Amino acid sequence: MLETSNTESTLIEREQKLAADLKSRFDDVLEITIKPKRIKIKVKLEKLLDTANYINNNLGFDHSTSVSGVDYPNSKEFEVVYHLSTYGREDIRDIVIALSTRISRDEPKTQSLISIWPSVEYSERETFEMFGIIFVGHPKLEKLLLPEDWNDIPPLRKDFKPPGR
Amino acid sequence: MSKLSLSVGPQHPGSGHMRIILTLSGDYIIEAIPDPGYVHRGEEKLAEYRTYIQNIPHLERPVLLDATGAIFPYILAVEDLMNIIVPERAQFIRVIMAELNRIISHLYYMAIYGIFMGHSTMFMWPVGDREVFIDLANNIAGQRVSYAFLVPGGVRNDMPEIVKERAEKACNYFEKHLIEYERIFMNNPLFEKRTKGVGILSKQDAIRLGVVGPTLRASGVKSDVRKDDTYSVYDQLDFEIPVSNACDSWSRAWIHMEEMRQSMSIIRQCLKRIPAGPVKLNLKQIKVPPGESFSRVEAARGTLSYYLISDGGKVPYRVRIMTPSFRNLITIPNIMKGVMLADMPPTYWGIDYWPVEADR
Amino acid sequence: MSKIQTFSSFVKRLIIVIIGLLITLTLLFSLLAYFVPSVKELQNILLSSIGNPSLMLNYLDQKGFGLNSLFFKVAVFPGFTWAALIAAEIIWFERKFLAKMQMRVGPLYAGKIAGLLQPIADVVKLVFKEIITPSSSDKWFFLSIPIIITSIAAALLAVLPVSEGWIIMRSDVSVLIIFAIVGFVPIAVLLGGWASNSKYPFIGALRGLHQMIAFEIPMLISTLGVVLVTGTLDLVNIVYTQSNVWFILLMPIGAFVFFSCMIIELERIPFDLPEAESEIASGYLTEYTSMAFGNIQLAIYIRFYAMAGIFTTMFLGGWYGPQILPNGFEIANQVIWFTIKTLLVMILAIVLRGVNPRVRIDLLLRMGWSSLLILSFANLFLVILILQTELIQMVGV
Repeated sequence: MLETSNTESTLIEREQKLAADLKSRFDDVLEITIKPKRIKIKVKLEKLLDTANYINNNLGFDHSTSVSGVDYPNSKEFEVVYHLSTYGREDIRDIVIALSTRISRDEPKTQSLISIWPSVEYSERETFEMFGIIFVGHPKLEKLLLPEDWNDIPPLRKDFKPPGR
Repeated sequence: MSKLSLSVGPQHPGSGHMRIILTLSGDYIIEAIPDPGYVHRGEEKLAEYRTYIQNIPHLERPVLLDATGAIFPYILAVEDLMNIIVPERAQFIRVIMAELNRIISHLYYMAIYGIFMGHSTMFMWPVGDREVFIDLANNIAGQRVSYAFLVPGGVRNDMPEIVKERAEKACNYFEKHLIEYERIFMNNPLFEKRTKGVGILSKQDAIRLGVVGPTLRASGVKSDVRKDDTYSVYDQLDFEIPVSNACDSWSRAWIHMEEMRQSMSIIRQCLKRIPAGPVKLNLKQIKVPPGESFSRVEAARGTLSYYLISDGGKVPYRVRIMTPSFRNLITIPNIMKGVMLADMPPTYWGIDYWPVEADR
Repeated sequence: MSKIQTFSSFVKRLIIVIIGLLITLTLLFSLLAYFVPSVKELQNILLSSIGNPSLMLNYLDQKGFGLNSLFFKVAVFPGFTWAALIAAEIIWFERKFLAKMQMRVGPLYAGKIAGLLQPIADVVKLVFKEIITPSSSDKWFFLSIPIIITSIAAALLAVLPVSEGWIIMRSDVSVLIIFAIVGFVPIAVLLGGWASNSKYPFIGALRGLHQMIAFEIPMLISTLGVVLVTGTLDLVNIVYTQSNVWFILLMPIGAFVFFSCMIIELERIPFDLPEAESEIASGYLTEYTSMAFGNIQLAIYIRFYAMAGIFTTMFLGGWYGPQILPNGFEIANQVIWFTIKTLLVMILAIVLRGVNPRVRIDLLLRMGWSSLLILSFANLFLVILILQTELIQMVGV
C-alpha cells in the first residue's frame, strides 16, 4: 500500500520513484510511507534479507546509519529499524530509507544483516543487549556497553524501570 | 616471535575512558579489539523519562565538547514532528554556535593529538587558543561549555551586539596563528614521519563500514551532511569541503585544520548576513504530535543522527542517538593492523574517537 | 606506654623524649671524653671556637675535612652538592623556559621571585610520600636501582675538571672511565624495568636498552677524533691543548655527533622513549614512587650536567675564557667560564624539547646505526687528514 503525505509531488519525486521500484519487485510484503527525503518501509520478517539485498545491490544504498529497536508492549512486539544511506550514488545522498520489521516480543529472533552491510556489527550488538533481540548469523553477539555482571532484564524494554523512578 | 597480549586499559594515559585489547608480536600490533562501555550512562533510557524541554541539557552531555552539534538534530527532529518554522535570525545564530563548537572541538582534538605524540607544545597552544573561542561562545550563550541554548522554535536568548567585533578579532587572531600551527606542527619532519602512511583506511573500506566525519573525508569520499542533506541555512552559505586521498593519520589531522578555516569563513558570512528579528517562536507549550522523525547533522566529529518516536505524550517514546564515535568504532580492528605500539594512541585518536559519546 | 589521644599528651610525650635524650647524650659524651682523647679534643675545639671560628677551620684541615681535602671536593664543590644545586636550578630554568615557549607562565609561587624554589618544594613533597613496592616485584633489587643510578651519575662527576686545581680525581685514562660509566647505564635501566615485574616497565626498559646501546658507538668514535689530535686520554690535558683554538672549530661534525648522542643517551625529550608517558605509562619508571622516583630524577639531571660538562671540556675549551674578574681571582674566573659554557650547552638541549614530538624507536635506531655512524667515521677521517697535512701546527695546537 502506498501512502503519501500532503506535500508537493515534485518534492518527493525521487522518493516515489524508489518506492515504485521496490514495489514492483516485492509486491505484497511491503508498507511504504514517504516524506521529503525519508522513506519508511515495513516488511515481513521472512522477506527481510531479500529486501535488504535488493536495496543494497540495485538501489545502491551501501551503508547503514543505525540500527534501533523499539518496544511496543501493547501489541507484544519489537520493531527493528535499519536506517540506510548511500555514499556511492550522489544524486540520492540525502534520502534515508528506514527498513523495519516486527518480531514477537516473547521470542525475539531476527535475521542479522551483517553479511550485507558490515557497518551494523556494533549496532546489532547494542540492540541485542538492550532489548534481548537475537540476531541470527551475527558472529559475536555479546555485551558491548553494559557491564559483564548485568543480571537484570535488558534495560531498554518498557518494563525495566531505572532505579529511582 | 611470541605474542604479547596487552590491555591498553581505562587506566592508561594513552587510552581515554575505554579499553583496547591488543595482541602484539614484538612491537607490531596484529589484532586490536575495542572494549567500550566504561562510561555508559543509559542516556537513551533516561530520555524517555524527561519532557522534551528537560531532555535538552540531558542529551547535550554525551558529546560535551561539541554541545551544539549534539543537540541540533534533536531540535530538528522535534521541530519536524511539530511542523513549525524557525525564524531566520535564530537559524543564523544556531549556525554560528555550531561552527564555533566545531572549532572548539577540533582544537581539543589537536591538543590531545599532541599529548599522544609526546609533544607538549602541541597541547598547550591549541588549548590556549581554544579559550578565545570558548569566551566567544560564553558571550553568545551565557555558558562556557554546555549551553542548553537551542530550543524547539529558535534559541533561548538574542545575541548581544558586541559579539560581532569580538568574533572578528578572534577570527583574525586565529587565522594568523593557524599558519604557525602548520609550520610547527603539521610540517614538522618528525610528525610527518610518524603519521604519514600510518593507520590506512582505504576508500572501499570507508564506504563499506559506514564511516563518518573527517575520517571519511580523509579516505577520499567527499561527503558532508551540510552539503548532502542540507539543513538550517547552510544552503545560503558558501564554503568548501576539504578532502584528501591519502587515507592516513596525517591527512586526518590536516583535514581538521582545514575545516577550522572553513568554519571561520562561515562565521564571518553569518555575521554579515544575519537579519534582525525575533529569535524564538512564542510557543505556549511544547506539544509534539505522534509520529516518527529521523534527522542528522554534521557535528564536529561526523554525522550525528537522532531517531525520535513520539506517541503524543509529554515525554518521547523512543530516542535513538547515533553518534559519530560509535560509527567510527568499527574501524579500530582495521586500521590498527601492522601499526607499531608507539603509534597506537595517535592512530586511535586520529579517527576522532570520544568514548563518552560512543557509550552514551 | 599509653596511646597518645590528645594534643596535650603529645606535647607531654615530646618533652619527656627531649629531656631524656639530652641527659643520655651528655652522660655518654662526658664518659667518652674521659676515655677517648680525640673526643676530648673535639670538646675543647667546640667550646673554644665559639669565640674564635678559625680554630674550627684549622681543626678540620688537620682532620682531613678541610677546604682543600678530598672530602670537601667530593661532597661540596665540585662534587655532589654543587651538581645537585645546578641540577635543581636547571629543572627550574627548563620549566620556566618551556612555559614561555608554550604561552604560559610556569612555576610562579614557590620562592619569592618567579618560583625559584619550585624544585626544592617538589623534593620536599616527594620525601613525604609513601614508597610503594609492587607485591610481585623483587623487593630489594627494586629498591636498590635508584641507588645504583644515583651512584652512576655521581661517579661521572669525579673526572670533570671544573678548573685547573678543582678536580676530584685526575687520571691518565679519564676518557675511558667516562665511557665505562656511561656504558653501565643501560644495564641499570634494564634491571629497573625487570625488577618491577610488570608489562609496561618491561617494554620501557627494552627500549632504553636498544636506544642507549645504539648510540654509544658514534659517541665513542667522535671522541676518538679528539683523542687523536691531543694524543692523550687525560681530560685536563685535553683542555690544555685547546688553549689557542677550541676543538669545535676543528671538528664541527664530531661535535655535532657527540651532542646528538649525548641528548639521546640522556633520554631527553624528544628522545624519551624509555619513559614515554602517553604510550607506556612512564616506562621503566612506572612503579617507582616517592623518594625512589625523586632519586632517579635527580640522577638524570646530574647526569645531564655531567655530560654537558664533558662536552664543554672536549669541544668548547674547558675553563678557558677572557679574564673578567680582577687579577688574583684566576681560579674563580675559570670556574665561572666553565659553568657558563656548560649552562649554554644545557640550554641548547632544552630548546629542542619544545619543538618536536617524540621519535619512534625504529626511526631512532635506523638513524643511529646508519646516519650518525657514517658521520662519525667521516669526522674521524677528516681529523686524520688534518693531522697528516700538519694543519694542526698552523693553528697552534
